[in-house]
Amino acid sequence: MMQSIFAIQKSGIGVPAVPMEEVVIAADLSWAGLILLLPLISLVLCGVCAAMRVKSKAPAMITAAALAGSFVTSVALYLNYVPPGDVIPLLDWMNLSWGESRFDAFSANFALYIDSLSLLWIMFVTGLGTLITIYASEYMEPDLGKGYARFFAGVSVFLFAMGCLVLSDNLLMLYLGWEGVGFASYWLIGYYYQRPSAVAAAKKAFIVNRIGDLGLALAVYLIWVTFGTVQYDELMSVLQANDWRPEFEGWSVTAIPFLLMLAAFGKSAQLPLYVWLPDAMEGPTPVSALIHAATMVTAGIYLVARTYPLFLMEPVSLQVVAWVGGLTALLAATIGMAQFDIKRIMAYSTVSQLGYMFLGLGVLTTYGAAYHVFTHAFFKAVLFLTCGAIMHGFAGQLDLRKLSGLRHMKGWRITAWTMLIGCLCLAGFPFTSGYFSKDAILAEAFVTQGPGFEILGWIAIVTAGLTAYYTFRVWFRVCAGPVAFEPGDELHDGDAHHGEFHPHAPRFAINGVLLVIAIGALLAAVPYFLDNQADEHLAGGWIADMVHDSTAREGLPAGHGDVDGAHHATILGMDPHAAMYYISGVVGLIGLSFAAWLHLWRRSDADALSRWMRQRIWIGWLPRAMERKWYVDEIYHGVVRAPLWILGHMCHAFDRFIIDGLLVDGTARLPRTLARWLQPLQSGVVQSIALAMAGGVAIILLAMALFMQFDWPGGAH
Amino acid sequence: MFALLLLVIPILTAVAVLFVPERTIRTCAFLGSLVAAGVAILAAISFGGWGNGGWGLEYSTPLLPLYGIHLSLGVDSVALLLVLLTAGLMPLAILGSWSGIQHRIREYYTWLLVLSAAMTGVFLARDLLVFYVCFEFTLVPMYFLIAIYGSSNRAWASLKFFIYTFLGSLLALAGLLYVAWAAASHLGEWTFSIPALSDFASAGLTSTEQTWILAALLAGFAVKIPLFPVHTWLPLAHTEAPTAGSVILAGVLLKLGTYGIYRFVLPMVPAAVVEWAPFLAVLAIIGILYAALICWVQTDVKKLVAYSSVSHLGFCVLGLLALNPLGMQGSVLYMINHGLSTGALFFLIGMMYERYHTRDMGQIGGLARVMPVWSFFMVFFVLASVGLPGLNGFVSEFLCLMGTFAAGSTGAYPGLLGPWFAAVAALGMIFAAMYLLIMVGKVVFGPVREPANERGPLPADLNLREIIVLVPLAVGCVYLGVQPDVAMHAMEGAIRDTLAIYPDLAGSVHDMLASTGAEP
Repeated sequence: MMQSIFAIQKSGIGVPAVPMEEVVIAADLSWAGLILLLPLISLVLCGVCAAMRVKSKAPAMITAAALAGSFVTSVALYLNYVPPGDVIPLLDWMNLSWGESRFDAFSANFALYIDSLSLLWIMFVTGLGTLITIYASEYMEPDLGKGYARFFAGVSVFLFAMGCLVLSDNLLMLYLGWEGVGFASYWLIGYYYQRPSAVAAAKKAFIVNRIGDLGLALAVYLIWVTFGTVQYDELMSVLQANDWRPEFEGWSVTAIPFLLMLAAFGKSAQLPLYVWLPDAMEGPTPVSALIHAATMVTAGIYLVARTYPLFLMEPVSLQVVAWVGGLTALLAATIGMAQFDIKRIMAYSTVSQLGYMFLGLGVLTTYGAAYHVFTHAFFKAVLFLTCGAIMHGFAGQLDLRKLSGLRHMKGWRITAWTMLIGCLCLAGFPFTSGYFSKDAILAEAFVTQGPGFEILGWIAIVTAGLTAYYTFRVWFRVCAGPVAFEPGDELHDGDAHHGEFHPHAPRFAINGVLLVIAIGALLAAVPYFLDNQADEHLAGGWIADMVHDSTAREGLPAGHGDVDGAHHATILGMDPHAAMYYISGVVGLIGLSFAAWLHLWRRSDADALSRWMRQRIWIGWLPRAMERKWYVDEIYHGVVRAPLWILGHMCHAFDRFIIDGLLVDGTARLPRTLARWLQPLQSGVVQSIALAMAGGVAIILLAMALFMQFDWPGGAH
Repeated sequence: MFALLLLVIPILTAVAVLFVPERTIRTCAFLGSLVAAGVAILAAISFGGWGNGGWGLEYSTPLLPLYGIHLSLGVDSVALLLVLLTAGLMPLAILGSWSGIQHRIREYYTWLLVLSAAMTGVFLARDLLVFYVCFEFTLVPMYFLIAIYGSSNRAWASLKFFIYTFLGSLLALAGLLYVAWAAASHLGEWTFSIPALSDFASAGLTSTEQTWILAALLAGFAVKIPLFPVHTWLPLAHTEAPTAGSVILAGVLLKLGTYGIYRFVLPMVPAAVVEWAPFLAVLAIIGILYAALICWVQTDVKKLVAYSSVSHLGFCVLGLLALNPLGMQGSVLYMINHGLSTGALFFLIGMMYERYHTRDMGQIGGLARVMPVWSFFMVFFVLASVGLPGLNGFVSEFLCLMGTFAAGSTGAYPGLLGPWFAAVAALGMIFAAMYLLIMVGKVVFGPVREPANERGPLPADLNLREIIVLVPLAVGCVYLGVQPDVAMHAMEGAIRDTLAIYPDLAGSVHDMLASTGAEP
């Protein structure tokens, strides 16, 4: 089995010999630079708009046009794409060399690596980026002339950085994108910079991400030390020359995947570094949809997929990835069940779904992970954008207890129904896109051999049920039931007429985008049925194709029923792939019916149940712990932040009183005490010191000169 | 000739400033520094040693030929880069003091220009005594700048600054003179030529001698850098110094220490360096983390940035001690980058102080609302300082750490540091993000808090002059962030020359360490 996987790998990666016809195509590939250039241009133009205090929607138009340009370029690249991809150099960055060998040079340039994996990512990133920018042009209206240009400049920065991250041909440019998206995230979470909670959330996001970045930096060092290169194509050919096996020095091969993992867990909000993502909801909702749901947070999955051969060298690392992913999925889902802020519920659901993707990577289905990234990008974007529409219309109201019956309200039907589509996909309702992509991961957990992977599979199935429950808790509360609402606390002028609050329904830009992305979320199921062109033995349709041509190819499912006969995993006596259709469908429906019972038909039962649970000592801690997010923030504060803060104060005190006070000033006081009886000499304050210095130097010079004169063997001539 | 011009122009301008009419002092000083900067650029263009090492811009005239003392000037590419940094910062420092300094301006600009000459002299020196005289002479103008134009505690700060660094330098002088004397007794005639002394010392001194000389030199240079635990003069001097003083102090004066290590310690006492590098690296790492933690609990913005210098310079020292081209190029780049970004931060804090007369984070906040342009630059330079890729700080920090990490794997160079050093030092990256973003979060963002102090005559936000001060630094940050290759190729040859003695040492040192391990 492993042999055959390696056999597949060996065939294609490496620098291709380019025949004449392909040079033409390669020339087309060189347009790839545009994907990065256009957001950069729109950043500059938005900056100009901000400086000129433009009061129109020009920044939004510029950004949307630029991102649309990037999207079109990426699609064109995809259409022109011929495996196995190509490297497109753009600009020199860092090149050091001090010898002949590979280990005597370090080189990292701005260059793009176009293969199917990067194309898959860049297409949905730029596509959703364009749509969400159009949505934001309406959503950000209240800030016209104030922060409007700043907002779209931030979006441009994000798209530029994300492009660097996804398209880079080396780990250093990836690092640039990696920190760049973190910075864009800081910028946009802290968009409402006068609100202390937003500033704190932005700071937290950046710092927690920095912990992950540290892992990435150390991984880059270690990869360079071990393999002598940080460029993917060279790295892959080094690995290939080594037969894809760990024949390098022991500990570094083990350490590399764990360091990369740290980076991926930071950016993709996994245990224990997920704490920043729920707080990141302080940012404007389009940002939450674009950055903190659809695109940036999947960078961790991209990183692992991109460096998958390095993970395969140390099988334990993938097992850890699987377990962390599975546990994060469960933990975040339980927290999501107990929250009341719909945007936070979606945030925890994002953490949970990202956990699924890591589980997929860990159980050797990069295809499942990538497919779930793809479908999740659409349906989670819809969910966030509908939350945003509600927030926009109800003056910031996000509490699901204070909103009800949206689907019966005039002007809110599109919001309610597109939200339903998003909820169905997220809940894994049969034959929606989320259903197929989640199943691909769940089934593989039972197929792949690993420590406790079967338990992990059941955890993931239970989590799927919980997901269906909390998803429809939101929809049934907010969109179904009798019409009732309270406004939030962010009233704008014109919201309240004669003291009475009127929600303003979304208009064309928001509704249009919601519809397009919702349709996209439904259509995301289609790639599952498309034929696989690259290798008919592989299942998984178009997405599998895209993964197949890349560094992540070894994680593809080996087709239904043609596993090399070694072991044939079963679940409840059936082939896991087939069984999962039934199991996950049924589990999802159970979760959905619970939600319907407690939040649609008999809402009073939910309160009664909650009251009942809270009064019982043996179970009462559970809802409390879930509502308080399992106290993870408090644990961080107690274990990391507070001790460091105390240490900081201790260092400060040590610096002031011991080093400076006792040692330095103490030494300085010594001559002063001595000088008490030489006081007549201490005439002035300032000038005498300069004099003393000159004198001192002169005396020393003289002494040395005389001394040397005597000791000098040659004698003075 | 360029070298002499670079030294003479600031002095002539200083003399001119003493005599021109009161109204034209600032203009005169500014033009003089601008001419010096122009000459520095011309010198850089005419310099032939970019990339391939060796000395250039040489000028020599005997001073005391009997004792081998010459006014011998010349630069290698590293020194020339630092000359460019000095010459470039000077006009900005003068422009930045335009409205901040209102009394005794004649003296102020004289001292500033003298300081500029002395600093340039340090980088230009090819003669030991020229170096030392300039090195010491930087103290005098800086002393007066702090003592006359500083804040409330200026007398104590200036005194401490002077005596502390002066004592250290005296020990360094002793060490350098010992080398000169040893060379003289060996060669039979006096020479103070730095290359000649380096050649002699690296081969001709016993390892005991080298160790003592290392200790003596470090007494001078470590205080200047400043390395933990001899850093306590710096926060005090920074908080009390006037804006331009702080800029020059952080931008150039601290680099005299790291330049000293580059120019003297590494070439002269390689055996001792190889022996003590891990110990010194531990000090640098302690400095990085310790100063970063202290930054975290500061309430005075300027003190925070001052302590951040201690932390940042730790990376710089670490890069030098990595003893391989990766770390060393990163380190030299760090000297320049730190000059740009921290210099700019001190300018910004000065601009804030001129308006609010406070630097207390407890009293001031939410300036993004009041001073958007200032806030933009503040966030920009903080990000450069944090090491955001795409800006300059990243490249140098990354390379310093990479050199440290890869110390054992860079071909023939001795691998004394290693992954653990880099991994622990890299925690400084996280801390830097913490303290700088906390500072930005308080000062720039959040609800507006302004102290009740009366506002000066300056406009609410930056005026054109202040923007002109900041823009070149910002451009430098972006340029060196995107095209660091330009600087790195420029210094490549010089660094290869400096490191050339180390590969030979690597083997023998490992033997030595092994043998001492076997027979203690």
